[in-house]
Amino acid sequence: MSAAATHPMPPGDDIEGFEESPPFDLLRVPVIGGFLKWRHARTFLQVPLLLISIVMVLQGLLGPTISPKNLATVLTWVHFRGALVLVLLCAGNFFCLACPFMLVRNTMRRWVHPRFTWPRALRNKWIPAALFALVLFSYELFGLWSSPWLTAWVIIGYFAAVLLIDGFFKHGTFCKFVCPIGQFNFLAATASPLEVAVREPEVCDECGTKDCIRGRRDTASEFVILQRGCEMALFQPAKVGNMDCTFCLDCVHACPHDNVGILSRLPAGELMSDPHRSGIGFFSRRKDIAGLTIVFCFGALMNAFGMVSPVYAVEAWLSRLLHIHHLAPILGLLFIVFLIVEPAILLGLAAWITRRWAGVRRAWLPTMVRYSYALVPLGFGMWLAHYGFHFFTGLYTIVPVTQNVLASIGWPVLGDPRWTLVGIPKYIVEPIEFGFLLLGLAGSLMIAWRLAEDDCEEHTMRAFTPWAVICLLIFLASLWLMTQPMDMRATMMAG
Amino acid sequence: MKSFLLRSRPRTAPGRCTGCIVSVCLAAFVITGCHRVSASSESISVQPRISPQPVHAGSSSTIHIQLANASAQPISHAQITVEGDMSHPGMAPVFADAAETLPGSYQAHINFNMPGDWIVLFHIKLPDGSRIERQLDVKGVQSN
Repeated sequence: MSAAATHPMPPGDDIEGFEESPPFDLLRVPVIGGFLKWRHARTFLQVPLLLISIVMVLQGLLGPTISPKNLATVLTWVHFRGALVLVLLCAGNFFCLACPFMLVRNTMRRWVHPRFTWPRALRNKWIPAALFALVLFSYELFGLWSSPWLTAWVIIGYFAAVLLIDGFFKHGTFCKFVCPIGQFNFLAATASPLEVAVREPEVCDECGTKDCIRGRRDTASEFVILQRGCEMALFQPAKVGNMDCTFCLDCVHACPHDNVGILSRLPAGELMSDPHRSGIGFFSRRKDIAGLTIVFCFGALMNAFGMVSPVYAVEAWLSRLLHIHHLAPILGLLFIVFLIVEPAILLGLAAWITRRWAGVRRAWLPTMVRYSYALVPLGFGMWLAHYGFHFFTGLYTIVPVTQNVLASIGWPVLGDPRWTLVGIPKYIVEPIEFGFLLLGLAGSLMIAWRLAEDDCEEHTMRAFTPWAVICLLIFLASLWLMTQPMDMRATMMAG
Repeated sequence: MKSFLLRSRPRTAPGRCTGCIVSVCLAAFVITGCHRVSASSESISVQPRISPQPVHAGSSSTIHIQLANASAQPISHAQITVEGDMSHPGMAPVFADAAETLPGSYQAHINFNMPGDWIVLFHIKLPDGSRIERQLDVKGVQSN
């Protein structure tokens, strides 16, 4: 099969006037490109993050019990989350590239060789979608942001899970089928401006080795891996977009023709069409990825909802109504309503209207699945607004916390902690938040329109309208949430 | 094709690793679960009280602090700085100095500028120069 034919949407291909101009390639940028192509670049990035993780765990377990004064909570809930979404917005999935969990896993795999393959029935995104929802649920239930000790255990649990899963199962099982952070990154990266992609598809047509996916082994012993291929089963010539791509750059190192780059593309452009994707298939047939998308999008609202005053009124009302005085069942009910019932009603209704009104000849569920991906930019916009808020308004808090850590180990080289250092004023950050939300709305509307155009040229507006209404509703809900007074309680039933 | 090529020879049982990971995690859990920051000068009594109740964000709250030694004698001339921190990291702390109104009785005015859970820290410098720190959890500060 021709690589050119299987790559349905080369970067910039569908933008008029851009057909001839080669996309920007990060790997061809002096210094940065040279560094990323260096064989040990990933390890070089992972080592500092691993060391920081270790310090965070030690601080979380043994340091101050007050969250704003502990490195584990400050770095995890203020800086890591904010930096993560901003890098995803401005570049791509570079946090998976620098993932410290994978450094530990790769080290383990020098001695421990997994024997099993992940069960076929579990090769989907249902488990990570459930884990993603569970993380959001635990975050609210246990007030993870307020507990350095629990935060440290989340990090330890993550390391343990990586080692267990990838100790037993081959390839990139944890990243592809388990890791909730990874799935968050994959979905958000569909709206990133960079992707790991083939530079010239024609070169792949002539390639006989397919090293980008197979890797290279020692001719003397098939057990010695000289260069790993793609662990996520993404075959470069047929790869579309950033879904499931960890930016590990194994394919870049493996390609004997130096034909894989980190190329620019239209952000979220990969969601505007539904080509067959290597290692994934068609998005419109992947109910599991659609489910993940729903958790991603509605979870963004739920996560922010848990941080504003009205949530306590709702909980108190539910508590009185149901005569339940424990937080877990009330919170569980809210999660079921917001992550399952509400999306099912909204998207189900929109799919039904699309079929009836626009005459789209697709069944009800596939229509719902297909258009659910249009919500990714909106969800991402909400995550950006929420995490960006904490990141910018708490930007400098890392300084006094670091000063305190150094002082506590008897090495106060940075002086006494300046606890008054906080971050950028709220009045500056708020317009940025609204900008993120607007950006998300624009992206979602654009995707919904393109999908509607593809589905129904004659009645595009009819197919588009129900989804545009949903996008607008989610946008307004996000806007309302971001304008509510923040109210962060680890004891939600208290008031 | 890929799974054949990447098939590894079984050399070490991952189960052994599992045992190690679980053991280390359990040990750390038990050890650090018992960890508490020890408070120095336990003999000093610090009795804080906040009024009015319930505490509302955006309006000034008064914190009354009674300071006494082991024999219940009030401690005068102490310097007390009150620090309020949100339970969420990354938020601006608020500070206030407490003034002595009666022997051993101090008062500070603090503005909890956001609803939610707060932690109030009392940084106390005793007349003999020694320093102690106490903590008061203020749950569910309400919006105005």
